[in-house]
Order: sequence, then structure tokens, then C-alpha cells
Amino acid sequence: MASRDRVRFNVGGQLFETTSTTLANAGRESMLGALLDESWNPGQPEYFIDRNPACFSTLLDLLRTGALHIPSNVPEKLLYREALYYGLLDHVRGAKWGPFDGNTLRLADSVPGRAPGDGTAIRGAPDGGCCVAHGSVVHVYNWMLEERRPISLDYQQVNDVGYIDANSIVITARERLGKGDGGMAVFSAATGELRHRFRVEHGRQPKSFTAGALSLAGLDDHRIFSSCKGRLNEYGIGVWDHNTGQQVDFFYEHPGCSLGDADKLQWLPSKNCLMVATLFPRTDNCFIGLLDLRDKSIPWCWSDAGITMNLEDKRVLHAIAMEDGHSICVINQYDDLGFIDLRAGNTNSAGTGVRWSSRSKLMNQKVPYEESCYPKLATHNGQLFSCMNDSISVFSGSEHVLTSTLRRSYGGSICDFSIGGDRLFALHNEENVFDVWDSPPCPII
Amino acid sequence: MNSQSQSQSQRRKNFKIEAFKHKVELDPKYAERTWKVLEHAIHEIYNNNASRLSFEELYRSAYNMVLHKYGDKLYSGLVATMTAHLNKIAKSVESAQGGLFLEKLNHKWADHNKALQMIRDILMYMDRSYVPTSHKTPVHELGLNLWRDHIIHSPNIQARLQDTLLDLVQRERTGDVINRGLMRNITKMLMDLGSSVYQDDFEKPFLDVSASFYSGESQQFIECCDCGSYLKKAERRLNEEMERVSHYLDAKTEVKITSVVEREMIANHMQRLVHMDNSGLVNMLIDDKYDDLSRMYSLFKRVPEGLSTIRDVMTSYLRERGRVLVTDTERLKDPVEFVQCLLNEKDKHDKIISTAFNNDKTFQNALNSSFEYFINLNNRSAEFISLYLDDKLRKGLKGASEEEVEVVLDKVMMLFRYLQEKDVFEKYYKQHLAKRLLSGKTVSDDAERSMIVKLKTECGYQFTSKLEGMFTDMKTSEDTMLDFYAKQSAELGDGPTLAVQILTTGSWPTQPTAACNLPPEILTVCEKFRTYYLGTHSGRRLTWQTNMGTADIKATFGKGHKHELNVSTYQMCVLMLFNSADGLTYREIEQATEIPALDLKRCLQSLACVKGKNVLRKEPMSKDISEEDVFYFNDKFTSKFVKVKIGTVVAQKESEPEKQETRQRVEEDRKPQIEAAIVRIMKSRRVLDHNSIVAEVTKQLQSRFLPNPVVIKKRIESLIEREFLERDKADRKLYRYLA
Repeated sequence: MASRDRVRFNVGGQLFETTSTTLANAGRESMLGALLDESWNPGQPEYFIDRNPACFSTLLDLLRTGALHIPSNVPEKLLYREALYYGLLDHVRGAKWGPFDGNTLRLADSVPGRAPGDGTAIRGAPDGGCCVAHGSVVHVYNWMLEERRPISLDYQQVNDVGYIDANSIVITARERLGKGDGGMAVFSAATGELRHRFRVEHGRQPKSFTAGALSLAGLDDHRIFSSCKGRLNEYGIGVWDHNTGQQVDFFYEHPGCSLGDADKLQWLPSKNCLMVATLFPRTDNCFIGLLDLRDKSIPWCWSDAGITMNLEDKRVLHAIAMEDGHSICVINQYDDLGFIDLRAGNTNSAGTGVRWSSRSKLMNQKVPYEESCYPKLATHNGQLFSCMNDSISVFSGSEHVLTSTLRRSYGGSICDFSIGGDRLFALHNEENVFDVWDSPPCPII
Repeated sequence: MNSQSQSQSQRRKNFKIEAFKHKVELDPKYAERTWKVLEHAIHEIYNNNASRLSFEELYRSAYNMVLHKYGDKLYSGLVATMTAHLNKIAKSVESAQGGLFLEKLNHKWADHNKALQMIRDILMYMDRSYVPTSHKTPVHELGLNLWRDHIIHSPNIQARLQDTLLDLVQRERTGDVINRGLMRNITKMLMDLGSSVYQDDFEKPFLDVSASFYSGESQQFIECCDCGSYLKKAERRLNEEMERVSHYLDAKTEVKITSVVEREMIANHMQRLVHMDNSGLVNMLIDDKYDDLSRMYSLFKRVPEGLSTIRDVMTSYLRERGRVLVTDTERLKDPVEFVQCLLNEKDKHDKIISTAFNNDKTFQNALNSSFEYFINLNNRSAEFISLYLDDKLRKGLKGASEEEVEVVLDKVMMLFRYLQEKDVFEKYYKQHLAKRLLSGKTVSDDAERSMIVKLKTECGYQFTSKLEGMFTDMKTSEDTMLDFYAKQSAELGDGPTLAVQILTTGSWPTQPTAACNLPPEILTVCEKFRTYYLGTHSGRRLTWQTNMGTADIKATFGKGHKHELNVSTYQMCVLMLFNSADGLTYREIEQATEIPALDLKRCLQSLACVKGKNVLRKEPMSKDISEEDVFYFNDKFTSKFVKVKIGTVVAQKESEPEKQETRQRVEEDRKPQIEAAIVRIMKSRRVLDHNSIVAEVTKQLQSRFLPNPVVIKKRIESLIEREFLERDKADRKLYRYLA
């Protein structure tokens, strides 16, 4: 009985013996699964495979234990190639890093970029890949951090990027005068090809527009939101369905709240509202509001109108709605965190609604670097992340205690970061290098 | 110098080393050769010769082709090879004879699937890396698409396949047994090829054919079947189709095919079914065909307007039947029978609704509104319901358990709820209750009280306060009498025993009647009681209601027959006269007793004209009493009972003039109620127009009765006269309240 379960391989001259139970972990949709399937002639005394034995050994070990241990003599890229041959690449990826936890992050890789600084955005893909937008190009990396074909937008300025799924990237771009381009489109992450352009229609006439910040509603909700600026006063928030590609709604700007210039959009499923934050307006005041798309109302908003504005004052530079939907977290130029309660009616002017945290770093009340980047915020599983200069702070628990700091020694300040596919990606401003952080797989004991 | 340099350059030329051009030139025939191996393998797979193939070698070959950028060649080769095989298969399927066609197709489909799986195994690497980046269809899907295009949509197969499938369904519908397993495999194949293939190549024509089949069949059924058996057939067809779907069609087809059957067999014939002669809905209701009704309900429920059709027909049938019932003059003769009839009708339809109509609320409402409609068509319903209760509480419920009593009372309360003139009912109920209490004829105090509680919960405290007062009076009287005899027994001696019931004025439906002359023996006791009562209660006035009393008297007839006679007070007065005389004329009796003529006639009638109870003898012998008649003590009276109850000839039902009187009293009682309502409304509203007042008053009073707008108008006028209200000076339609 036991011997029948046993399988012998001769891989590139080296003998391996294992069991069909172990091989079953590879799944039917793999080369080894097909090899032992009864439609082929199984039960041979020995199967010959003309491949690299060292890699086979590593992969066999992965199937036996579920853990990946790459010997020092096996280059990682070689192992990936062999895993692709056997159809085990997903197994390798699953074993390479563990569930995301801001407090166990380790630097997995550091990938140098080509562009001369000034990146626009970095986004993590659901499968652990990422893309980096700067200027008019979006560089796409798969989870093995191999660069794929870049997405080129014919020198249109990219404003924001996002992943609809691991293979679909949505990009918003600025319209150039007289060209009627710009707007928003979906590209294939694998090939960089244009898949679909989203249109904005006003009175059944398609209009060209500049698309700004982006937000995706979520897993089962196919809506995608973007701030829109047309040339004929079509300012507001456009809503599309990314399954059908059609525009489903448009929220026209109310007087006094600049939606077309919004810097951050975020869908709040618990409130059935879209958070819009316009933090660097050209004329108006900073504005954060919740939009109810069903009746086109703004049930809650906050503005800093009325604060005397000089550079020393605390200014809200980024905002993110907390996952519980009860408050919005904001950050200022001194790296102070602040919270605005969403449950307390309409917070009126004078910015009084912000409860700045006492954890003020008090950096001599001075903007630290001439060339610093604006701070950014992110949340994941109850943890709060903020980037300032060249480091990322991790805050945990309901009291948002600072629990970890992620810092790299070179690359300049961090201009953007993103969490996706259980990985954190941080894009550095000066060298255009990006760092990849992930949590190790579960320890053996 | 010159020659030297020349030789040097020449030498250099000799030493020239070719640039290192290490272009790894693959054998140009490599791709072709590798493809041949793979192509051969695909052939062998289709020919079931795969056992001689080496998977590892084939997988590596395909991998190498993709790796060396021959993915296009590999892919197009695959398409061509598979297409060639499918064309061969198509030929073989086409050539299959008759019934073997489906078998062959199914067989080949299974082969193709197996081959496709193996081809996919070999080309797994291509599927993973070449296909996504070059926008090709993955191998498995490609195999299905090619099968669809070259087999299913082949001109010689497409129509034949469709016809064969539809023919099999048709044969099954007409009772043949078909190979359901094969059928399932084929429809499963169509579904695997994509929902649009299943829909276009099978489902749509299937639904069309079904529609015309059921349209024809329903036409045929409706011509020759009665409603019940038609519904049975329709239900069976519906179940058959659902079963068919579960056996070999896509689950999503169920809704579509059932809606076809529903439309063709039910919706299109709904009116005709419901109104079918001798077997339609009305007949089912009459004959209590619960199964048929339940079937009709569940089938009609499936189609739009279905239930409302049933409900409308049921409602109009109930109203018509009810109208006939309550206006049938024969039935009006016996009020108990009349109400029992209504109750039976209610029970019958309640049971139909609960057993056949799933206790549907809308049906219950329809039933209630129908009853409300026809019960109020007859203005004597209130009286009859009270009479029915009277009958039940007198004797009908004797020996019944508490639960049974409750059931009867609850049922009557149902009818009571339908009454619009609840105050009329109250009037009658009070009269009947008074009679029951005074004659001591109630079966059970508990039942009486239970009824009062029910009325109280239904209509409020005011409605029953007087009824409760009557019960209190009875209790008090009992205590008073005990006390009276305890204190006075010595003085009373052997005289007649007196039982007095002291009735509070206003609580009881008393009629002002002149008291008759009581016999002297009685009068003595009465006077003693009066003295006693007024002595213990100051400031009260006692009036004898001789028209309401009863008496037990002992009489000795010829041959020493002794009987105890149970009579009314009037009868007693008359009989006592015969203690001192053998024969008396009507006039003499009238003078001696001073009983009102109408009552006296009734009283004499019951004493002299009822067979078996004729303790008096009348001359001349006739049914009616005339003022010239002479009455004699009937010495020959016999009875097998010692106790003889001599009832008064009273029409249980009210006579026409009495009815008028009651009605008049009701109308009188309504006046203050309407006025009170008007004043209440005007006090809060101050100014209101006429129509609004009428509407509000109606709303306030409808729990007791439906006030007549003309009466309301009269009351308003009366209130204006008495300066409670005034008309607005500017707008005559407006009334103002004068505080």
C-alpha cells in the first residue's frame, strides 16, 4: 500500500522520491498534477523530468511543508522560472510572505527606478505587484518585482492610479488644452494595453475632462469614483461602473465646496457615502465632506474657512476616513495626527472640529526640510500609517499608539506609499527608488 | 618607412579576428519538428492511443516552443488540428441514423472533452504564459468554441439536434418514456458551451413549442372538462414541467417554462374557469370542494390578477347569497333560525378560507365586508341577534361546557361586529336581558357576564354600564328579601310568599304602565314590604311593575287533582277572581283587575285557549278573545304534570307597532348622542362647515350606529335654536361655537 503511494522522479539526473499525497498539494492545474493524472499513463516506476534538480528540490520541499526555503546557491529568479514551468508560481508567492502586520514588516526589496525623481504615486496590486506613476508614464511591476511593459500615456500628465484587480490598472490624467484628451482609462497590467476609456457625458454629449483623485467602492460594488474638471464648468465627482464601463452618476459641485479639485476620495460603505477631501484648493478653503450620491446631498462637511492662514498654522495636509466610519484622521505639516468626529453633526468653520493628538513632535514649529514631501495617511486592519520625510510611522490599537517606524537610509523623503497584496510599498522622492516591505510567513514554532 | 608601414598593415589584416557573433541560431527546422511531435500527439489523443505518449516530453516540447517565441505557431497549429478532427466528428455524427444521432453526439462529446483535457495538460504552459499576453482564448474554452462552431452549428446538425430534442420532449408529454440521462447529457453540453448556446439553440424554441402545445391542449381541456378536473390537469402539467426541469434542463428554465404553462393554461382561461357552468367557483363554494378550491387558489396565485379574480367572484356570490338570506320572508319568521343560518354561513366560509385559501388575509377581509354589507340590509338583524342570544342564554346552552358557551358567544360577537346600528342591538339586548333576569330564566350567570364583558371590550364601558346595573339590582334584591323575611317572618304568618326585585329606574327597560288591582292577600304583603323598604331606605319611591312579575299558585281541580300553576302576575290576578266566582264575563274581569286591555286579552288567551293549559273555559269556544266572552273555571282540567307553566302568549318577536315603538325610542336616544358629538367637535374646532361636521360626527358615532345626515342637520338646527351654535354671518355654510 505504502509503496504504491510512492513516486520516484529523476530530475536532471538526480533521483527524488516522494508520495502522491505530497504531490496532490500541487493541484490538478499544475504540471505535476497532470503528470500523475490517470488520463496519462501513471504508475510508471520512475518519471524523468529534464529540469534543474536544485530548484525541483526546493519546490518539492515547498509542497511537503508549505514553507519556502531558498538555498543560497539558487538564485531567486531561477526558482521563479522553474516554478512557472511546473505551474507552482502561486504556491511560491503564497509562501514568500505572510499576512500583513504593520509591526512585523521587514524590508523585502528595494527597486531602483529610472525617472529623475518626483514620482506621483505608487500603488500596491492585490497580488503583491505594484505600479509607480511619474510624469506621463506608469511603470508596472509584477509580484516578483520584475518590470513589465510600462504604460505610456503619450505625455499626458498622470494624476492618480489604482488597481481594479491584479491585471487591470485604472489611470486618471490631465487634459491638455486643445487636444480633447485626458480623462480616465483602464489598462492591462500584463501588456500595458489600453482596455477601456471612461467617458463623461453632460446632456448626452461626451466631454473631455481632467480626472483627478480616484477611489474604488470595494469588492462587490463595481463603482469607481473620480474628481472631474471639464472646461465648461463640469466640476464634480464622476461615478462609473467598471464592469460595464458606463457612467452611472455625476455629482455636480455645490457652491462653496470644490469637488473637481479633490485630492482624496474614499468610499465609506458603512455610511453609504463618499468622502471627498480638497486640501490644496486654488481659491477656496480646505474642505472635507461626505457625499450622499442617492439624493445628491452633503450630510456632513468640515472646512478650515476662517482660520488666519500663515505658514506657521497647523494645516490639514492629508485625510483618511477611519475603518470604523466614525471619524476622519488628518495630518499636518508637523506630523501631528488629528481626528474629526463624523458623528457630531456639521462641524462649522474655524477648523475647531479637529482634535489634534497630543503626540506632537514639536519640530521647533518649523517646516523641517525645504524639499520635504507632503505627509500621507493610510489604514489597514485597524492600523494607521503615516509617512513624513523618510520614514513611515505605524500606529496600532484604538488609541493609535506609535508602535513601529519604517525607515530607509537613502532615497530622500517618501512622496507616496501604498498597502496592497499584503505588502507595503514606499516611493522615495529623490532617487525614485521604491521599497517593498512585507511580513514574514508564520514562524515554525 | 613606407614599405614597412605597408607590411605592418598587411600583417594586421592577416591577424584580423572576426567579431564574436555568437548568435544562438536554433535549428530552423526545430519548431517544425517539435510541432510535428505535438501534432502527432493530438492525433493520437483523439484516436484514443494516448498510452504510448510521454507527458513529460510533450509538456517540455510545448514549453520550449513558447519559450522560443513559437507560441503563435503552436496556437494556430492547435486550432487547425482540432478543427480538422472536429470536422471528421461532424461527418460521423451527421451520418448517424435516426435515434442513434443523439447517442453518437453524446458519445463524441464525451470523447472530445477527454481529449480536450489532455491537450490542455500538454499545453498548460502556453495557457499560462502565451495566452494571456497575446489575447488568445484559453485552450479549454477554445475547444468548446470550436465544438460549438463545427458541430452544434454545423448546418446538418443544428436543426436536426433542435428537432430531435423538441420531439423527445413532445413524446414525453404525450406519455412516452424517453432516455432522460441522454437528454440531460445533451442539454448539459449546450449549457457548457455557454448560456447563450443553450438559450438560442434549445430554450427559446422549447418555450415557443411549449406555448403552442399548451395553448392547444388548454383549449381542448376547457371544452370537455369541468372546472375541477381542468385544474387538476393544469396542476399536473405544471408539476410535470418542474420535474422535467429538475431532471434534464437548466434550473433557470423553470421560471420560464412554468410561466408559459401558467399563462397558457391559467391566465388565458381564468374568467371562463371561474364562471364555468355547474362547476365554477360558485359551485365549488356551495359544495365545499376544499381540494378544488385549494387547487384553484394555488394555481391562480401564480398569475397576475388571479387571486383578485377569485376574490371578486366570491364577494359578489356572498353578497347575493346573503341578500337573499336576509330578505327571505320565510326565514324572518324564526329569528333563531335566521341567526343560526348566518352563523352557519360564516362557519362554512371561514372553513373554506382556512382550509383552501391558506387563511389569506385579503379573503378574510372580503368575507367580512360581504357580511357587513348584507347583514345591514335587514334592519331587524340587530333585534334577531339579540333574540338568538336570548334563546341561547335561556335554554340553548343548557348543559354546555364553558368552552362551548364561549365559542357560541364569540361567534355571535362576530356578527355583532358587522352591525352598523349597535345601539339598536343594545336596546333589544337590554329588554331581553331584563326578561331573563326577572323570570329567573338565565341558564348561567357566568355566560351572561361573559357576554357583557365581550360587549364591553367591543364597545366600551358606557355601552354596558346599564346592563351591569341590572345585575347589581338582582343581587341587591336577593339580599333585601333575605333581610325582609328575617325581620318580618313573625308578622307575615301563613300569607303568600313575596319575592320583590327592586329595579333602579333608568337601568331597566320599563314601560310606564298603570298598576293593576292586586288581590287583597297579595296587597297586604306588598304593603308590609313597602313599609319595610321605605323604613330602611329613605327618600325612595316604589312603584309595582305588575306587568313584569310571576306567581306560583296552587289550584285544586275536579276529582281533587292538585296542580301548581306557574303564571304571570296578571294571570294570577285573573285566576284569584275565580276563588269566589265560577263564571265571569270579560267586562267583569276587566273591571275587577284594571289590567290594560291588550295585556288582559293576551292573558286570557293563554289561560283559556292553549290546549293542555286551559285552566279556564271560554264561551263561546274560539281562538280570539272578544269583549262579550264569558269565562268559567275549568273543573275538568287535567295534566300529567304537577307543575304547569302557563306562558303568556307573547310574540317573541316584536309585533309591528312594538317594533315602531322601539325604533322610535332608539331614534330618541340617538338625538342627545348626536348633539353631544356635535358640541364636542365644535368646542374643539370653534368654526366648521356643515359637511365636515357631518363627517366627524359620523366618524365619532359609527362604533354605535350610522347617524343619518338629515338627523344630524336637524340636531344642528336645534342647537342653533338653543344658542349653542350660530351660523357665520358671511358664509352661511359655516357654523360657530358659542361658548
